[in-house]
Amino acid sequence: MSLDYVKFSPGFEKFMPKEYRDMVEHGPFGKKVTVSQMGSFKEILEEHPMCAGCAMTLFIRLAIISFPNPEDTITVGTAGCGRLAISQAAIPFVYGNYGDQNGVASGLSRGLRLRFGDKPKDVVVMVGDGGMADIGFSGTLHSWFRKEKFTTIMLDNEVYGNTGGQESGMTNQGAVLKMAPLGKKFEKMDMLGMAKIAGCAYVATVVPNNPRRVESVIKKAVLIAREVGPTYIQAYTSCNIEYAIPTDKVMEDAKNVENDRYQFSEYVTEDAKQYLAERYGYKEFLPKPAAAISKA
Amino acid sequence: MYLVADINVEICAATSCKLCTQFCPEANTILYNNDAGKEKGLKYGSAYVAVDRCKGCAQCVWVCDNMAKHHAIKMVMIDQLPQAAITDNVTYGEKDTTALLVSQMVG
Repeated sequence: MSLDYVKFSPGFEKFMPKEYRDMVEHGPFGKKVTVSQMGSFKEILEEHPMCAGCAMTLFIRLAIISFPNPEDTITVGTAGCGRLAISQAAIPFVYGNYGDQNGVASGLSRGLRLRFGDKPKDVVVMVGDGGMADIGFSGTLHSWFRKEKFTTIMLDNEVYGNTGGQESGMTNQGAVLKMAPLGKKFEKMDMLGMAKIAGCAYVATVVPNNPRRVESVIKKAVLIAREVGPTYIQAYTSCNIEYAIPTDKVMEDAKNVENDRYQFSEYVTEDAKQYLAERYGYKEFLPKPAAAISKA
Repeated sequence: MYLVADINVEICAATSCKLCTQFCPEANTILYNNDAGKEKGLKYGSAYVAVDRCKGCAQCVWVCDNMAKHHAIKMVMIDQLPQAAITDNVTYGEKDTTALLVSQMVG
């Protein structure tokens, strides 16, 4: 886990495919890249088998660009659409059984801390709503209650997109899907509320129709998870197949859903604010200058 | 035959908003060439599409029409592209990418 693992073995440069050579020579490893530089460097994510126009892919692409230290990051995933893209990236990816991603990440995060001490190694869990809110629910909540220091990102497409459109805990009430023809009878689960109760240091909702916001949210979450505590991001990443959204209207749908039920929200604990301000110079979290001293 | 996105260099190089690059779900597909517009005397560089990676979702068209309001991107049948960039021809510089444009796709 260092910059060495993205270098050529001596003598093999000319045998490597173009994509690999571009990654070594023009990739973001060891540099600071932002979403505004997209299109001018080789991205860590490569070609992937996700559907055309998938908003989840867009979010994954933005998220991977936003990692503060991609060379020191490991992603953890589980069954679901997301893993098809996350696994096609030039950073290590761990694929566990369905639903055990937060357990795997807990062990991984603790092991990395033992092995590397103070050198930050980031563990980022990126899992769909089914893997996190239904099947991996207990593992997810327990990792938060144990205050395991890693970032958990939910790719919430509000459906089991990979298996034909069954309802998940995160499906909206009343939604009619191919494998849920009567419509969902219960409300969408409040994972944000649960994350706050379970003690996450940073909780945010985000929609990928604002790339810079996605970047800022992911950076904060990964940095806070290094020392303060667990962090949770819930991202709306529509399934244009199961919800029958024309591919060129995916961003319009994201905008509508953002206005409807996915407004940007950010919850940062006081410890996390202080940590971001002192360690990484986040000006918005610096203590406010003392109010004008009363004239009395 | 199938549709891929095609960016009008003249409209794009006059504005340089780079929104299409940021909203494309495919990685390394819509790239940005800082020199594309300069040879024609335009102010900025232009985005271009590595057509062998484009899946034809047309999200960039919606973004260019509705968010940027530049109307610079159209979906075109791949054999009718005026100019096409393919991944093998993309080279990355220190601060920008360039593609050697071939005259027309074959097949």
